[in-house]
Amino acid sequence: MSPLSILIVGAGKLGRETGLRLSDAGHKLTFVENDHESAAKAKEIFGDHVIFGDGCDPKVLERALISNMQVIVAATGDDEDNLIIAELAHHIFNVPCVLTRVNRPENQWLFTAHRGVDTAFCPVATTADFIKAEIDKHTKEIQG
Amino acid sequence: MHIIIIGCGRVGARLASLLSSSGHSVVVIDKNPEAFERLEPSFKGKTIEGVGFDRKTLIDAGIEHADALATVTNGDNTNVVVASVAAQDFHVPRVVARINDPVRAEIFPKLGITTISATLWTSGRIFEYLISPELHNVFSVGSAGVQLYEFEVQSALVDRKVGDLNVANEIRVVAITREGVGFIPVLGSVFKWRDRVLVAVDTRSIDKLRAMLGLTN
Repeated sequence: MSPLSILIVGAGKLGRETGLRLSDAGHKLTFVENDHESAAKAKEIFGDHVIFGDGCDPKVLERALISNMQVIVAATGDDEDNLIIAELAHHIFNVPCVLTRVNRPENQWLFTAHRGVDTAFCPVATTADFIKAEIDKHTKEIQG
Repeated sequence: MHIIIIGCGRVGARLASLLSSSGHSVVVIDKNPEAFERLEPSFKGKTIEGVGFDRKTLIDAGIEHADALATVTNGDNTNVVVASVAAQDFHVPRVVARINDPVRAEIFPKLGITTISATLWTSGRIFEYLISPELHNVFSVGSAGVQLYEFEVQSALVDRKVGDLNVANEIRVVAITREGVGFIPVLGSVFKWRDRVLVAVDTRSIDKLRAMLGLTN
């Protein structure tokens, strides 16, 4: 399996953790982050592959060589930003695979294919579903 | 018309007040209720506290039967998302998004969103005033891609034909006012001294127009 060129916008905990797994699997990573603290933490792990700037700005995405990317992960903590990144990545820069984070579950309906989103993931909803499923399992055990 | 405005800053409040006093049904949405204090006392529309791309908020605002929507918050990203939702999900016939970043203002129209960039517009107007006061800007078409100018015919154009000034896709004479009477010329119409000419120009061709009018720096 050949390595993919992957751009992760948002180098917070989620972005960095995802980056570690992808990097261990041999993929080539670039990050865009516009918070100094998060960028510094990301640089400690990923070095020069971290670009400081606003991932919604087409000029910053160009600096991050977005046209060479095969995958983009919009992992910021802001749903509007993630939508804009997906829109730009898909419609303007033709990135083949676009994954976006959904922060607020109520916004999930916005993250559609015609907005450039190939896959949306919502950590809050997924985790809440998981917790409920676990409790349902334990309920069965407790109540027999 | 039923019109929804997202963002009650200076632009939104002014727009809402203008539309309301023109007799339209207006709903203004802003996430900060204090913003509604900017509305003029004559405002007869409705205000809703909420996030502009929240489905329930938009439905409460009557987006399902809205004729037009303007999203004029300070956040470019919010405006693009709201415009996209209004146009694509709710099929609002007329949608305008305010985009401050000039680069984004040029990219997003390609995605089918009509944008107005105050930054582009304002810097364009100041540019003209400083460089080109003889050309009086009357109107900006679209996202400042085409301008309508008015100028007075001086020696460079006297006895020249309208067809000489027209340049396909770049410069087009629209109307002439001569001794107080306005008319739409043909290509063979001849310019006279002190004619007031209304011309449509692609913004990129302003220098060409200036050169043709003999206005050099």
